[in-house]
Amino acid sequence: MIVFERRMEANALWTLASFIMAIVAGLAASAILIASTGANVPDVFGALLQGSVGSPKALATTLVKAAPLILTGLATVIAFRAQIWSIGQEGQVFAGAMGGYLGAQLLAGLPPVLFFPGVLAFGMAAGMGLGWIAAVLRSRFAVNEIISTVMLNYLVVYLLSWLLQGGPWGETGGTVAYHQSPMLPDAAFLPALFGSSRLHAGVLLPFLAAAICALVMSRTPLGYEIRGLGYNPEALRHKGVDIARTVSVIMMASAALAALAGAIELFGVSHRLRADNLIGLGYAGIIVGMIGGLSPIGTVFAGLFFGGLASGAVYMRVLGDVPASLVPAMQGITLFFFLCAGVLARYRIVMKVAVQ
Amino acid sequence: MSTALRVEGLTKRFAGVTANDDVDFDLRRGEIHCLFGENGAGKSTLSSCIFGFYRPDKGEILLHDQPVHIASPMDAIRHGIGMVHQHFVLVPEFTVLENIIVGTQRSGWRLNAAEARQKLKGICDGYGIDLDLDAYVWELPVGRQQWVEILKVLYLDAQILILDEPTAVLTPGESRVLFDIVRKMCARGMSIILITHKLVEVMQSDRVTVLRKGKVVATLDRPETTPDELARLMVGRDVFFTVTKPELAPGETILAVEGLSARGFWGDAVLKDVSFSVARHQILGIAGVAGNGQKELFEVLCGVRRPAAGSIIFKGEEVAGMSPRAMMDRGVGHIPDDRFREGLVPEFSVAENVVLGWQRNPKYCKGPLMDRDAITGLAREMIGEYQIATRDEHVAAGKLSGGNAQKIIIAREFLHASGLVLANQPTRGLDVGVIEYVQTQLLKKRAEGFAIVLASEELSDLFNLADLIAVMFKGEIMGIVDPRTVTVAEVGVMMAGRRGETAASKKRVSA
Repeated sequence: MIVFERRMEANALWTLASFIMAIVAGLAASAILIASTGANVPDVFGALLQGSVGSPKALATTLVKAAPLILTGLATVIAFRAQIWSIGQEGQVFAGAMGGYLGAQLLAGLPPVLFFPGVLAFGMAAGMGLGWIAAVLRSRFAVNEIISTVMLNYLVVYLLSWLLQGGPWGETGGTVAYHQSPMLPDAAFLPALFGSSRLHAGVLLPFLAAAICALVMSRTPLGYEIRGLGYNPEALRHKGVDIARTVSVIMMASAALAALAGAIELFGVSHRLRADNLIGLGYAGIIVGMIGGLSPIGTVFAGLFFGGLASGAVYMRVLGDVPASLVPAMQGITLFFFLCAGVLARYRIVMKVAVQ
Repeated sequence: MSTALRVEGLTKRFAGVTANDDVDFDLRRGEIHCLFGENGAGKSTLSSCIFGFYRPDKGEILLHDQPVHIASPMDAIRHGIGMVHQHFVLVPEFTVLENIIVGTQRSGWRLNAAEARQKLKGICDGYGIDLDLDAYVWELPVGRQQWVEILKVLYLDAQILILDEPTAVLTPGESRVLFDIVRKMCARGMSIILITHKLVEVMQSDRVTVLRKGKVVATLDRPETTPDELARLMVGRDVFFTVTKPELAPGETILAVEGLSARGFWGDAVLKDVSFSVARHQILGIAGVAGNGQKELFEVLCGVRRPAAGSIIFKGEEVAGMSPRAMMDRGVGHIPDDRFREGLVPEFSVAENVVLGWQRNPKYCKGPLMDRDAITGLAREMIGEYQIATRDEHVAAGKLSGGNAQKIIIAREFLHASGLVLANQPTRGLDVGVIEYVQTQLLKKRAEGFAIVLASEELSDLFNLADLIAVMFKGEIMGIVDPRTVTVAEVGVMMAGRRGETAASKKRVSA
């Protein structure tokens, strides 16, 4: 008989082994899925590798795709560690792009050293506004944050839809109404890191943000309160922590990170306000944060992994001849196995000989 | 007398800690056998092995002299072993009957409520248990919920009953009823394993097995032993049950409460017109059965609950309605009764818990970061000073025993408080040795010039420590008495709701 026994203390080696097993199992399950479409499995995986790490250009695309995912992942980490189940990253990404776009209109003409921090701040402020609303709804009116943030997501997504189609920000002039704003002026493009590559300077921000998050979580009083809130809010309340205020700070910090993702997408990638490159970044960030074990450093790796999948997806589709929806399916499968690994890491497998 | 259950050479280790070391134990048919020992002595591990929660690493369990393999609680139940846990496993939204038959039916998928009701009625009548089978569990007071657990075991025809700290949640009256019924069970041939660290309960058993650090120290016939001997065996040294309290003249008034009232969640009055005062060098004891407003009083005093009316003057300043933060900053220390829920973050390390609530204090910060060196240094100092038994300061507080966890709270509150310490049930669930230690610490603070408000369900605590005892009943103070001139029986009567002589309350007015 095989029995699972709960471990008293985590074993680092076993934890690592569980996660390696999760990757292997995830790839195996994906392989089955690929095979079921009739495609050649090695070809598809080969294309995936080539498209994600196969060339400097592929690597650059991976980084560009990973950048917003790491940020929304970090947004998830900050909130979930405090047991605040914010699902608002999606709307906050949109708000970040919208705030950034508004900022770009207002700050146009400023020198770049002022312009870029300024517009990113606009974007983050817009996201923080959303986070603040959810925090107030929770603290003052006991509205569950899952509900409020999901509802706010709809609100923001439809607000953008209106702004772009028929609203003041839509592109006009053509005979066809595109669901997008006019192009930003060249001065509002985030500069490339190397020459004219797609690798914009914004990809550095997620790594900086992750380092700051790691430091905040482990070393600062705020991080202490975030962790404490997740473990035992009642003790914190008894020991003088203002729970409502702390929840607001956490929600707003989380929202700012997610909004930053939207802003760098706008200024670094799309250069115009449109929904289709923002959709799903927030929800994927929840998966990235979870796979990263709700740790900032883990989230960086999970974000890079997902960025690689997204970047390799194009090659996979072209070279491997598989449907585009395979990539979200693979993301889901990976999350599933990582969650299993998270549980498995806390148990030991015991072979038991039945007596009698 | 035949042997119902025997344990031979049982050893159980957890990650390097030997919780049970070569334990021999036998339970005779029809006896109450007490497992007695401090927290962490291995009582719970032993009973968990018998009930199938843990598998012993070595040793055998024999039922009626036949070796048995108990792999799970289900196996244990099949073998006629039942257990009532300290923390009940009941569904509050279910009725008593539903709670008992859910998961215990042996007739397959169909619930046969009528048959179960018949059988339970028979059990209740037989033992004289008065319990409405159709009452919802949430409606029942904690003491009655325990009956549901016991009924469940009886319903399953258990022959051996393990009771884990059964009286922790009971009033003295309720415990008496419990022991009466347990006696009846024994008379009918059941055997009881009673786990406890309370001497009063041990003295109601037939035999006692004393455990210390995972080993059996002795198995004694109860009539041939004394509480003093048992306490000495349990702790491994002599224990003084009465700490010596020096006479100290009370200084200036630190805390004066006047007409304090508070309301509960449903708007019910949980505190009614409470007035008292405590002075420097004084301990005010609060006596009363749990749930008579003590917890609410402490919550209001430390700022966690808002008062509905009344004033709280602390060091000459009106502080009623201030936040916990403001109270802490003014020097009020609070030892809450639910230590793992309100006093500690169990997942945090000992070091992190020592600064809980003071994490933003400049003393423990270096710039924007917390000062790890200062905090671990302080934690080490506290571990030494308060004799906290832990491997080091990085161990999670939740892994420590109740007594050591309590010492963390005491260390933290004593370190940061100035003037007033509020201690609610500081000795609840603790070992004799630790109780003595906590009492000594409280007296030390009193000598230093602190005013202390101390609530305890153990009257011995109050008579040992308090300068004045206020008796609470249903949110009201029945009277404030002087422990030197009042008897335990008189306080007991007031705890049941009779207003007492408030001779001592005259002193309060003049203070």
